[in-house]
Amino acid sequence: MSVEVPVKATGMTQPLDSTAASKDTPHPVAMQVKGLNFYYGTSHALHDISLDFPERSVTGMIGPSGCGKSTLLRVLNRMYDLYPGQRATGEVIFDKQNILNSGVDLNVLRSRIGMVFQKPTPFPMSIYDNIAFGIRLHERVSRSEMDGRVEDALRRVALWPEVQDRLSASATALSGGQQQRLCIARTIAVRPEVILLDEPTSALDPVSTARIEELLDELKTEFTIAIVTHNMQQAARCADQVAFFYMGRLIEVDSTARMFTTPREQQTQDYITGRFG
Amino acid sequence: MGNEPAHTITRYDQELDRLRGIVARMGGLVERQTAQAIAAVVNQNEEAALEPPELDPEVDALEREAEMLAIRILALRAPMAVDLRVIVAVLKMSGDLERIGDYASSIARRAAKVEVLDGAISFSALRAMARLVQENLHMAVESMVENDAERAQEVWKADTAVDELYTTMFRELVTYMMEDPRKIAPCIHLLFVAKNLERIGDHATNIAERVYYAVTGEMLPSVRPRGGAARTNIEQPE
Repeated sequence: MSVEVPVKATGMTQPLDSTAASKDTPHPVAMQVKGLNFYYGTSHALHDISLDFPERSVTGMIGPSGCGKSTLLRVLNRMYDLYPGQRATGEVIFDKQNILNSGVDLNVLRSRIGMVFQKPTPFPMSIYDNIAFGIRLHERVSRSEMDGRVEDALRRVALWPEVQDRLSASATALSGGQQQRLCIARTIAVRPEVILLDEPTSALDPVSTARIEELLDELKTEFTIAIVTHNMQQAARCADQVAFFYMGRLIEVDSTARMFTTPREQQTQDYITGRFG
Repeated sequence: MGNEPAHTITRYDQELDRLRGIVARMGGLVERQTAQAIAAVVNQNEEAALEPPELDPEVDALEREAEMLAIRILALRAPMAVDLRVIVAVLKMSGDLERIGDYASSIARRAAKVEVLDGAISFSALRAMARLVQENLHMAVESMVENDAERAQEVWKADTAVDELYTTMFRELVTYMMEDPRKIAPCIHLLFVAKNLERIGDHATNIAERVYYAVTGEMLPSVRPRGGAARTNIEQPE
């Protein structure tokens, strides 16, 4: 009696991709950019961008200055609305809704999609109020609940042990790294779903940078994270997928391991290996 | 892998060029060692037998130099993509080349011990095997120097024939030893010569695999089409 054994067809080559297995169970998409174009007045800054941001994972965005990565980040929570003459076409689907539509409540949107900037931007008020301020904008909470929310946010960014005895001290007296962690705490205190970070560590020393990176690793179990960075090693360390932008176009997006060992596009390879211009 | 545009930082290119230069020199040296070792055995050329062990220290020193430089580049340049693949490939290939040098020296040292078999036993299988191994080694080194993934793949496929010839020799020698137990010692030396040649072929294949990965970013399958063992009833020592 012969038993037929199904023969698995194997190609001549196999890609070296440690994340191949995880691709079988992809995270659902939290935010989906489709056919996005963006204009600063008459200048066409983003060309037909389509990119998925998987839920509870980190998407790193890299590329040379002026490639459009920060512009894209600013589209994702409609930050560009603050400036006249800037417009976007296409779709950014978040929670089944195109957030580029005019009817979207921007206050609600920005509470669900938070942003952290390159330079720490603590408000000139106490550490406690820096956190409470954002929560008060969106919710009415009791004093005791507020205390809990502030402590929780500070604990999550590992700042609590350093500041618990001086919550009423001015936030501007904190070090740069502490200020940036405070800004991240302020962002997560309003319980967003997505956190956008625009070069969050470029003004920080290596130890503070490592702390923020460690923090991202924890935050991604709960939030969807998009980070713009000039630091390739940072993208390699933090991101699950990496998107490379050049001159307003998305050149390539892939798992981080694949991107930094075997990029498909020559432009990506030239950029990440330091052979650019 | 060398066919890329220049890095913005010129020193980086110079370091990578130096690294490639070291393994290219190692490739040339071990090819020479292998050729001389084979000549020492099949032509019973005593002078040729001296050279492979003499070249060994130079090969060893180059391996260490390659390793030090590779570690330095990894630490200081944080290489990515093709650069990273090349550096990892060089680290592994330099080890393969060093081993090839050792095997060639071992073959050369056995040359005098198989002398007694000259004429009594046909060296034709050994000659054929030696020719194939030398060809494969040459192609592997060439693919390494020229970043030629296609040629690397040829080497990878061609090693099967070497394995088959080794099996043939193995059977031939076992039969001969059974017929004439007085010749067991020189036959075993000859068998080691064949085995060492077969190992050189394997390391040439490893080099080809590393070149293929460095150039294309894809790994060749871990299992190579194998000949040899399946064709014989005699159990083969590994």
